[in-house]
Amino acid sequence: MCRKRLVFNRLIVGRARLKTPLDKHCIARHSGAMLTKELVAASTVPLVLSVLTDGETYGYALIQRVRELSSGKIEWTEGMLYPVLHWMEDEDLIESEWREAETGRKRKYYRLCKEGRKALREEKQKWMTVHETLTKLWKIQPNSI
Amino acid sequence: MENTAQFDLNFALRLWLERLGQSPQVETENLRELEVHVRDSVVHLQTKGLSSEESFLVATHRVGNPALLEPEFAKINRNPWNSIVHGLILIFFSAVCWLVWATLHLPGRTMQGIMARAGLISKATGFGLQPGFTQMMVTFSHFMYIPPLLALAYCLYVWFRKPSTKNSWTGFFAITTATLIFILLPTVVAILLPVIVVLNHLPANIFQP
Repeated sequence: MCRKRLVFNRLIVGRARLKTPLDKHCIARHSGAMLTKELVAASTVPLVLSVLTDGETYGYALIQRVRELSSGKIEWTEGMLYPVLHWMEDEDLIESEWREAETGRKRKYYRLCKEGRKALREEKQKWMTVHETLTKLWKIQPNSI
Repeated sequence: MENTAQFDLNFALRLWLERLGQSPQVETENLRELEVHVRDSVVHLQTKGLSSEESFLVATHRVGNPALLEPEFAKINRNPWNSIVHGLILIFFSAVCWLVWATLHLPGRTMQGIMARAGLISKATGFGLQPGFTQMMVTFSHFMYIPPLLALAYCLYVWFRKPSTKNSWTGFFAITTATLIFILLPTVVAILLPVIVVLNHLPANIFQP
């Protein structure tokens, strides 16, 4: 569990670390528009699983899709995604296959497994609980934010 | 502009991958995947008007610092040395357990012979006057196969589990060493007690010149 968290943390912290060892504060500085590293780390698996429900895809396209959907607010250190994908593969959430694309270039395609669908259902429930709770709170106190 | 014309993407990419591939923790397949990623990124950035060199620099920067990527791949890729060291510790642990068993049996019998010859016990009664603690340890030694079996079960789990749940060999080494100390201390006492008994029952003037 601890190792998993480390991988996820590095996923977003990677670039920030080059600037200062105090990565947490460094990230927090950009949190106005960007998500914090903790939030990005926590949302990586549900994001990957959700993108893969649309069909199989490869690493670069997956990152592009998340960037596009979040309007650039979710920025991953791209290389850090691959250890996460491989971890998800080890956990049987997803499976992969090297295949030739239309361009003739070989790419590693990832697709969702049965376990992945199950994990996504659980993730959905968790995120919806947080979402509903916050929505209710913010409806009660709309002006206090 | 002159620099851009001279920039060789394949060469730059090869250098970048070589730097990343220096770590034994990053497997060839990881490198292939990252290469495809950078190439895709370069193509995409070039469509936005960046030069080949600029695209390469942005793409590799987005992938992340190799020094930070290596440890992440190391956590995912299975390290064969961990399994080998687990095996070596298992062999060592089993060997010491067998030695403990042998120590409690073979010299014990020799000791019985000496004691019988010294007239301290009769050969017919077997253990006879052997200290109770020694007798207890000899009885326990019949179960000495259990710790190596437990260690083997743990090693099998480590060898065949998913790589994501990696266990370090240091923990295994610490537990086996602690177990050995726990077993060896009473064993040493158990084999020394009959010696003390024998020495105590020797005629008083035996060591006098």
